[in-house]
Amino acid sequence: MAGSGKAHLRPRDDVLLRVEDLVVEFPAGRGRTVRAVSGVSFDLARGETLGIVGESGCGKSSAARALVQLPPPRSGSVRLDGVELTALRGDALRLVRQRLQMIFQDPVSSLNPRRRVRDIVGEGPRVWRLPGDRVDEVLEAVGLDPATAAERRSHEFSGGQCQRISIARALILDPEVVICDEPVSALDVSVQAQILNLLEDLKARYRLTLVFIAHDLAVVKNVSDRIMVMYLGKVCELAPGADLIARPAHPYTRALIASIPGGGSGLPPADTLISGEPPSPVSPPSGCRFRTRCPSAAARCAAEEPQIRQVGDDHWLACHYPALPVSSKE
Amino acid sequence: MRRRLGLGFCLAVGWIGLVLLAALLADLLPLARYDETLAGPPRSGPSLAHPFGTDGLGRDVLSRVVHGARVSLGVGIGAVLLGLGVGAPLGILAGYRRRATDAVIMAVNDVAQAFPALVFALAVVAFAGASLRNVLIVLGVLGIPSWVRLIRGATLTFAEREFVLAARVLGARDRRILWREIVPNVAVPAASYAFIGMAVVVVAEGSLAFLGLSVQAPTPTWGGLINEGRTLMEDAPHVVLAPSIAMFLTVLSFNLVGDRLRAMTDVRESGLEPVRQAVAAGPPAAAHPVRDTLLQVEELRTHFVTPRGVVKAVDGVSFTLDRGRTLAIVGESGSGKSMLIRSVLGLLPGSSVRDGHVYLSGDDLTTHGPAEMRSVLGRRLGTVFQDPMTALNPVRTIGTQVMEPLRVHLRMSRRQARDEAARLLASVGIPDPVRVLRRYPHQLSGGMRQRVTIAMALSCRPDVLFADEPTTALDVTIQDQVLRLLHRQREERDMAVVLVSHDLSVVARWADEVIVMYAGKVVERGPAAQVFARPRMPYTEALLRAAPRLTDPVHHELRVIPGRPPDLAGLPAGCAFRARCGYAQERCAIETPPLSAQDGDGHRQACWFPLEVAGPDPATAAQLTRPPAAGAPAPENASGVESRGR
Repeated sequence: MAGSGKAHLRPRDDVLLRVEDLVVEFPAGRGRTVRAVSGVSFDLARGETLGIVGESGCGKSSAARALVQLPPPRSGSVRLDGVELTALRGDALRLVRQRLQMIFQDPVSSLNPRRRVRDIVGEGPRVWRLPGDRVDEVLEAVGLDPATAAERRSHEFSGGQCQRISIARALILDPEVVICDEPVSALDVSVQAQILNLLEDLKARYRLTLVFIAHDLAVVKNVSDRIMVMYLGKVCELAPGADLIARPAHPYTRALIASIPGGGSGLPPADTLISGEPPSPVSPPSGCRFRTRCPSAAARCAAEEPQIRQVGDDHWLACHYPALPVSSKE
Repeated sequence: MRRRLGLGFCLAVGWIGLVLLAALLADLLPLARYDETLAGPPRSGPSLAHPFGTDGLGRDVLSRVVHGARVSLGVGIGAVLLGLGVGAPLGILAGYRRRATDAVIMAVNDVAQAFPALVFALAVVAFAGASLRNVLIVLGVLGIPSWVRLIRGATLTFAEREFVLAARVLGARDRRILWREIVPNVAVPAASYAFIGMAVVVVAEGSLAFLGLSVQAPTPTWGGLINEGRTLMEDAPHVVLAPSIAMFLTVLSFNLVGDRLRAMTDVRESGLEPVRQAVAAGPPAAAHPVRDTLLQVEELRTHFVTPRGVVKAVDGVSFTLDRGRTLAIVGESGSGKSMLIRSVLGLLPGSSVRDGHVYLSGDDLTTHGPAEMRSVLGRRLGTVFQDPMTALNPVRTIGTQVMEPLRVHLRMSRRQARDEAARLLASVGIPDPVRVLRRYPHQLSGGMRQRVTIAMALSCRPDVLFADEPTTALDVTIQDQVLRLLHRQREERDMAVVLVSHDLSVVARWADEVIVMYAGKVVERGPAAQVFARPRMPYTEALLRAAPRLTDPVHHELRVIPGRPPDLAGLPAGCAFRARCGYAQERCAIETPPLSAQDGDGHRQACWFPLEVAGPDPATAAQLTRPPAAGAPAPENASGVESRGR
């Protein structure tokens, strides 16, 4: 699909983060621009985990960074608890950022090699001149022993431990939303499980709301309440995890699921569901952006961009010809 | 983390300290006055009273060299501090702010750098007068453009890092980010460059002084002393030699210290460091019966001697592989799986010690010299690596790179090679191969690049194709395409494939046999279907359980393997996995379990208490035995949501 629309936004009171028509652009040289994110909308209820899944270049990381306004989106609206972040500048924006923390993919690059763990984790409170020293507490919360870890530097730790330090740094400011941008994709599978379990524990303990971004659908499904599938800067499908896996409606979602090795999805082989390579984001296809790789693409897909519509209980889709007849449960 | 600094570095620091001390204390030292004429007989050679002799006017040369050091070091340090003081803030600003700020600063900087430096120095000093202050300012200002460039470059590499982004997310102001995150990282390269800069300035000041454009007489400077002594070269060479040697040693020392500092920042902390001594990797492997198989590896060991101890990267691995079969080698990072492949191929860093045998159709490759090995590598053993971008040369077209092995090994003509290359690209599923031949690697997507490296590996029709994490850098939909491609090529060409991966589920579907590695050793091996469905080694079982699966319920707590992989330099006795193993007992700490079979099905495990058979408690063992669903080679029998207890 890769379609647009805001039909899936929920008019609920407990919506903490609401993103509408987000557009992120980067210069691509020779006067051209890449639209990394083009018209993406989603919302996030308090205490919920939204998983965003898609392959490289789908705009999931660009969208994440636009949420914290680093850099601010080209257009669109990001509202945290009703406050429009894109309108804020300077100190007002800095103040809001405390409530919105981030964890990055590369555990080593995320930590300043010249600073001690105590200083890295304690940076947030120092920036805001907060009283008290919670460094030991958060280090313990992420499973590190403050006595041995706090005085060391990042190169003395493994990737998984570095990621724990990053999580501690994000937690110490008591954020409401934590954006996890591929937090486990650089880790070994045994360590990945430790970090995923840790995130789930911390979410309950600190009442966090999470945006969890990854390319691995199985990982995303494990931690997410709802999953949003993105392709080339657009939203394809949005549904609760179990529903998305059990009843994938978008051809791209189906291809993603079928491509997972040993997934046991019951879908036909992946090579019958998707072909070729993603087109360049500099000149995306007209209409539905997935049509160039889609087995069920028709003339309408090139002419008209599909809009997001409801196809089930909290199951949203942007596709003219969903691969499965989806019974919409009213 | 203290690294060896080396004797040269210590001597250099000592010399700089000595010269600095002498310059500072010149007036207090028991030296003759530098301007006292006839302190001794003119032009006399070194003596007890005048260790460096006297000059044409009978002045003490040692005293003059020591006082000259004041000017040389003073100008050297002062000019560098001036350049750093002006250049570093500009460089940091340009590198951190980028955009317009960067463009303006760098444009001005480029203009300044294009100025002929020596001419400028000569003109200013000639015009404004030759004084210590003027020379210092001129040399300092001339250094600014290089400082801006250097500091900007260093800043750029760190400004892009995620820890800077993280600081901004925390709400830190720019000034704080600069001081806390950027400056400490830029300081080390800056310190290194400062020493090299001082060497440059000392030479430049010497040159100016030699031309009489530095501090004027009677104040001695090294350059001036050399100039004065020039006329006495024949009967009193020591007058020239003493300041020359002082200057030479000082410049050399500054450069040595600067280089060493730079080397210290370049080296990242890595497990492997250069060997200091070669040792045998263990008892020589006994002769093994050479079997009638395509590839036979016997007791292969690869060790590295590091300052931390001997790292046993590959520790006694044996396997055989026949045509038309795929062997998967799985393990986490540091398990030795990539090193095993490199040991088989003989592609090891010079600091390693390899032992054991690798037979290819009965021919022992470990006895091959480099030239013989090269022809085997190109023609009989093909390789595909994880990152296709680094495997391809970025400045050569795809065509020249695919044609190269064809022309070198198969001695094809240009035309033949080009046709064959196009055919190869078509066979690995590249659309429009003739056009792709003219392209450069960066013009292709990651998946296409990996197809090209596969085409190259297949070009000489290898007997065995080694694929080391061939899909790890690729997107999941492309990953599936590439694995299918490898499988199809294996069938068509009747070759054997060795597939290395950290992801068991990736190899489950395509492998016939599996080797699971942990800490350099094989801990389990056997037919793929059996290993994945009924793992016997607790590590294999834990790995299979740790990866989340689509069929797991949402918010399902994953089974974790506690701890992390052991340090290969200091492996404990017994089973290397025992510290992380839920079933470990006393015996595991004492005796290393051998790779042993339970029955004759080829499934072996290195474990004293294999699952299924002798778990600590039969109920747990039964509960842990995986249902044959996910991970098994046939995906269609595993539909539906499977619920598992935590």
